[in-house]
Amino acid sequence: MAHIDDELEGLKREMLGMWTLVQLQLKKGLESLTKLDKDLAREVILSEKRVNSYELKLDRDCENIFALFSPVAVDLRYVLAVLKINNNLERIGDIAEGIARFVVDVDDNSFDNNLLDISELLLMYEECISMMESLKIAFETEDTKLARSIFKQDEILDEINFNANEIIANYIRNNIDKTEQGLYALSIIRKLERVGDQCKNIAEEIIFYVEAKVLKHKKD
Amino acid sequence: MKGQGITFRRIKDVFVKGLIILMAGCSVVPLVAILYYVFKQGIEAINWDFFTQLPKPVGEVGGGIANAIVGSLLIIFFAAAMAIPFGISIGVYLSEHGETKLAYFTRLVVDALQGIPSIVIGIVIYIWVVKPMGHFSAFSGSIALGIMMIPIIARSTEETLKLIPFSLKEASLALGVPYYKTMMKVIIPSGLSGILSGIILSIARITGETAPLLFTAFGNPFFNFDIQHPIHTMLTPMSSMPLIIFNYATSPYDDWHRLAWGTAFLLLVFVLMLNIITKIATRKWKVQF
Amino acid sequence: MESTVLTASKFGAYFGKNHVLKNINLDIYKNKITAIMGPSGCGKTTFIRCINRLHELTPGATVEGNLFLHDEDIYKMYPIILRKKAGMVFQRPNPFPSMSIYENVIAGYTLNGIKLKKQEKDELVQESLEDAALWNEVKDTLHKKGTFLSGGQQQRLCIARAIAMKPEILLLDEATSALDPISTASIEELLLELKKNYTIIIVTHNMQQAARVSDKTAFFYLGELIEYDETKNIFTNPKNPKTQNYITGRFG
Repeated sequence: MAHIDDELEGLKREMLGMWTLVQLQLKKGLESLTKLDKDLAREVILSEKRVNSYELKLDRDCENIFALFSPVAVDLRYVLAVLKINNNLERIGDIAEGIARFVVDVDDNSFDNNLLDISELLLMYEECISMMESLKIAFETEDTKLARSIFKQDEILDEINFNANEIIANYIRNNIDKTEQGLYALSIIRKLERVGDQCKNIAEEIIFYVEAKVLKHKKD
Repeated sequence: MKGQGITFRRIKDVFVKGLIILMAGCSVVPLVAILYYVFKQGIEAINWDFFTQLPKPVGEVGGGIANAIVGSLLIIFFAAAMAIPFGISIGVYLSEHGETKLAYFTRLVVDALQGIPSIVIGIVIYIWVVKPMGHFSAFSGSIALGIMMIPIIARSTEETLKLIPFSLKEASLALGVPYYKTMMKVIIPSGLSGILSGIILSIARITGETAPLLFTAFGNPFFNFDIQHPIHTMLTPMSSMPLIIFNYATSPYDDWHRLAWGTAFLLLVFVLMLNIITKIATRKWKVQF
Repeated sequence: MESTVLTASKFGAYFGKNHVLKNINLDIYKNKITAIMGPSGCGKTTFIRCINRLHELTPGATVEGNLFLHDEDIYKMYPIILRKKAGMVFQRPNPFPSMSIYENVIAGYTLNGIKLKKQEKDELVQESLEDAALWNEVKDTLHKKGTFLSGGQQQRLCIARAIAMKPEILLLDEATSALDPISTASIEELLLELKKNYTIIIVTHNMQQAARVSDKTAFFYLGELIEYDETKNIFTNPKNPKTQNYITGRFG
């Protein structure tokens, strides 16, 4: 096995490690939200540091691989993709942290289940987690078909996000005492929508790395 | 090139090519004629007795040149034994230290030595060796022939060793091998085919030499090789093939003429064999870098 | 803990009056690959030839300062002893043409008159060829001449010949510059394997090669050691602008 293969393999291991961590953040965030478990939310906030150090490490590794091995063709696309996905994952980590902060900041002891239901927030959250999982497998197995399936899921997120304003507005009108919860829910939906965008970017990077096709800015 | 049609140029081309072939053919004709003549005349003289008998006194029919064959081989053997170490040493020196003044001078001397007429070498050895010893000897003949061999061996060794890449020497030295072993065990073996062919060619060159032997080995109609005292034998006059040719061919007797032709034929075959051996040896020992 | 194998201290070299190496101070660490790079004429080849004192073949070569192999002053050792401890592989493959593959591997012993039993020889040959990743290719043709091998195989044979002597340090003087990319890659991989047991110094024109295989890189320019650091640092964040200009191809 060539030396560069060892390095690329190492890069993949790091990347997947970071991926698992970010996924864990999202999952714990969801749990903390449904149970309004503030300790768990704090855990999520703390683990952001680890995500950041993963990001720095991967940045440095990519830099070294560029400098030392001058990767070309698929190797070059791979390292470029890792560099960008690294960025996307860090953002998703940030978002998970942000959601966890809302959970910590909420004054009440529990979230209104009705609110979570009608706004489809939980559905959206689970969709995000599933997208992350699919993408991780797609990255690991170079499965572009799986990566492409993400785009549909992202559309669901967009729709939920689009409908959210009206739903939340109605909810606040009807439950004026739970205005704060309504606003938090809306913020979380906004954030999850951004997770969806990041996932879309990741999928594009995977397709770019495997198929050398650029999908960015094509649709609109 | 205006005015000269393509046809004219092609005719010129064919003409020149034909001329070259013609010239080459012309020069080959006499060579082939000589070979043919020697072969035709010589083959008649070749029989068992030719190899095993001593020359008969004038008047008796038959006889052979056994003493001359053995004598030639002995003289050549001792000449080579003396010349090879010197020749190779000089060659090694010239290739190793070719830039020094002494090397320049040595090369000059070696080249000059190659150009000295063989008879001059014969005279010099006569004065230096034969006269102080008081009598002709095969040994003095070997010295004379050996001196003629040295420049050939030296220059062929030098040329061969010069072609051996320097990196080979470095490789050996880098393994911690001392210089003398590097030369003896790496460089010289690598150039073996060239050195060997130089030696064989030098033998081929001196095999037919007559002039130096007239003053030194002189000749001897008897079989005086004593296996128990080879050195002693070498100190007596000895016959050799070129001497037989010289003496018998200039004699008035038909039977001796016949022996001279046979000897000439034998010499020819011998030299031819040496050349073939050289070719085979070069191929067999050829070392690729 | 990194232990030092070779130390240069205020080391300099001259060819006649030409000052080709100036005030070199560096430590070479055990089981590391150290690359020495720099433009032609920067003294990098001279430096490694000073390590096994092969530069002394050039008339008029002198040195100043010290080079230590472990704690021994190289210039107080006998060259023939030193050279057994510092194996060298050259730019062009140079197996001994008069010897078979087998004889080439143990040439360092036979030429030095070191007697080995048949079994010891066999083991040594196999071990060295295995270490040089050549055994499988030549095990059936051990008694053929080494010069029948391809360039890359010949170079690995030369590496086997060098490591058969169990050197303290292995010096490679542009050992892949005469080889095609595939052979080069196989030699580079071999070096990464070999560094587990040997300390290796490579001189190379090829910056990419230095980057790929070495742990430490020294940059020489005009006979001076400009920078010496972890290879990663040299190639991502060189401290000296000259190094930066060289590795980015903006020289002169």
